[in-house]
Amino acid sequence: MKEIVLSVEHLTVYRETYAAVQDVSFSLESGTDTSIVGPNGGGKTTLVQAILGILPRHSGEISVLGQPLSRKGFLPPSIRQQIAYLPQNFLVDRRIPMTVEELVGLGWDKLGLQLPWANHRKRSRAVREALARVDVVRLKDQLISGLSGGETKRVLLAYCLVYPRRLLILDEAPAGLDMRAESEFYKLLYQLKQEQSWAILQISHDLDMVRQHCDRVLCINRTLRCQGTPEVALSPDNLSAAYEPEFVRYKHSHQPQSS
Amino acid sequence: MMIQTEFTRIIELFQLPFMQRALIGGILTGIMGGTLGSFTILRQLSFFSDALGHSALLGISIGFLLGLNPSLVLLPFAVIFALVVSYLLEHTRLWTDALLNIIYSSSLAIAIIILSFVGQYKGGLNNLLFGDILAVQELDLVLSSLLLIICILFIGLTLRTQMLLTLNEPLAIARGISVSTHRTIFIVLLSLVVGISIKSVGVLLVSAFVVIPACAARLPSRNFINYVLLSAGLGALSAVFGMVISAWFNLPSGPSIVVTQLAIFLTAMTFPWLRSLTHSLKLKGKSV
Repeated sequence: MKEIVLSVEHLTVYRETYAAVQDVSFSLESGTDTSIVGPNGGGKTTLVQAILGILPRHSGEISVLGQPLSRKGFLPPSIRQQIAYLPQNFLVDRRIPMTVEELVGLGWDKLGLQLPWANHRKRSRAVREALARVDVVRLKDQLISGLSGGETKRVLLAYCLVYPRRLLILDEAPAGLDMRAESEFYKLLYQLKQEQSWAILQISHDLDMVRQHCDRVLCINRTLRCQGTPEVALSPDNLSAAYEPEFVRYKHSHQPQSS
Repeated sequence: MMIQTEFTRIIELFQLPFMQRALIGGILTGIMGGTLGSFTILRQLSFFSDALGHSALLGISIGFLLGLNPSLVLLPFAVIFALVVSYLLEHTRLWTDALLNIIYSSSLAIAIIILSFVGQYKGGLNNLLFGDILAVQELDLVLSSLLLIICILFIGLTLRTQMLLTLNEPLAIARGISVSTHRTIFIVLLSLVVGISIKSVGVLLVSAFVVIPACAARLPSRNFINYVLLSAGLGALSAVFGMVISAWFNLPSGPSIVVTQLAIFLTAMTFPWLRSLTHSLKLKGKSV
């Protein structure tokens, strides 16, 4: 039986003086992959950041694994440990002397008070396994400052995978990966979803990818314009509601004509 | 023979209680500055520590004006000042360096005006600006030791949290870390370290203890934990060498320590160059 991992009810979030997200409600079940689509400035990243408590919400309720997220963004540490987040445009400050092993290890730690050398062996083993899953064990001892964009993405994915989670939130995660890495990335997401019942919530602009890989779609343009399976949510009518009508006409004009 | 005589003189000098206190004070300040400095420079708070040092003169001058012991006024002033500045930085839309410049130059100006009214301390201005590590008392050492223990416990027990905060704040918030709580604790500790170090090195040089050992440690470091340890170690090492140089050549102690830090930093700058040279020599050796 599938469990509700994330529940969002009547969420409204303000950016400066305008409502970037208004009255949005949806829920995510375990073992599903849901994609958020919508135009630039439509509130996708704002929605995700409010769910994580990075941005404060104006009204509405959010709960993760049955635990409500407080107005100040507090969730019990045991629930926080079940969430992994990969932000959009993650920029690494090249002056930070941190190795790949150290970065991925931060994903494994519970981040409370602990001795610096505590759980060293367990952490090291988990890091090695996570790096192996994204095929970058060779980078273990490298400084993160020396990584390419694609390698950085893989290492950050290992940061998410290093601990068994229940909810994975990705903000345009595959951007910057080459074709092979992108295909492996989706294969990995599929495994997490099918074998370990992770609930995945990802922001994407790639509608073809969404049609191919996701179970469910949320179309956001400040409000929730539509939701459902990709076939339903990505219909021309729904897309023109979420984006501008011109966008849908543009898409149609490039579809192959049947003779 | 002459070197041996000089060496004997320095050994004898370091047997004097005030020199021993100065040496211990320098080491404690060096370790604290190096430890917090390693995070300060990565979080781009170097100018913050500099502004804090300069503005501390205002706290000292207020102490003089009210007829209170300046050392007693300095620490609470430094903490309150740091928290106010931190609040302003978060809640105004001005550039950080511009705002810090306004704060530190104006507080320095007000401090000098106040000091001009307090005639009897005009002669002591030099000590405030450049410090007098030889005047360190046992109470200063006790305070420094306590502060060092607090710093080590805080950084040691929250090391991984501090690493994540330094790397990326949104990633840290997503993991449930209270950024504002950690930032406030860090800034309070930094202001206490700066406040306590002013007696030794003065308001003009105090930020060097925070910034230079950390920058020197960054250059050869190949992982984060070693970087923090190396930064603390270089802070202590520069204090020891600086004190010896000061005794040897009869130079002012605070500036001697800072010049030693500079020498260590310049040496560390050659490390990346040496590493790439060794690497290319290895590659050449393999191809032959």
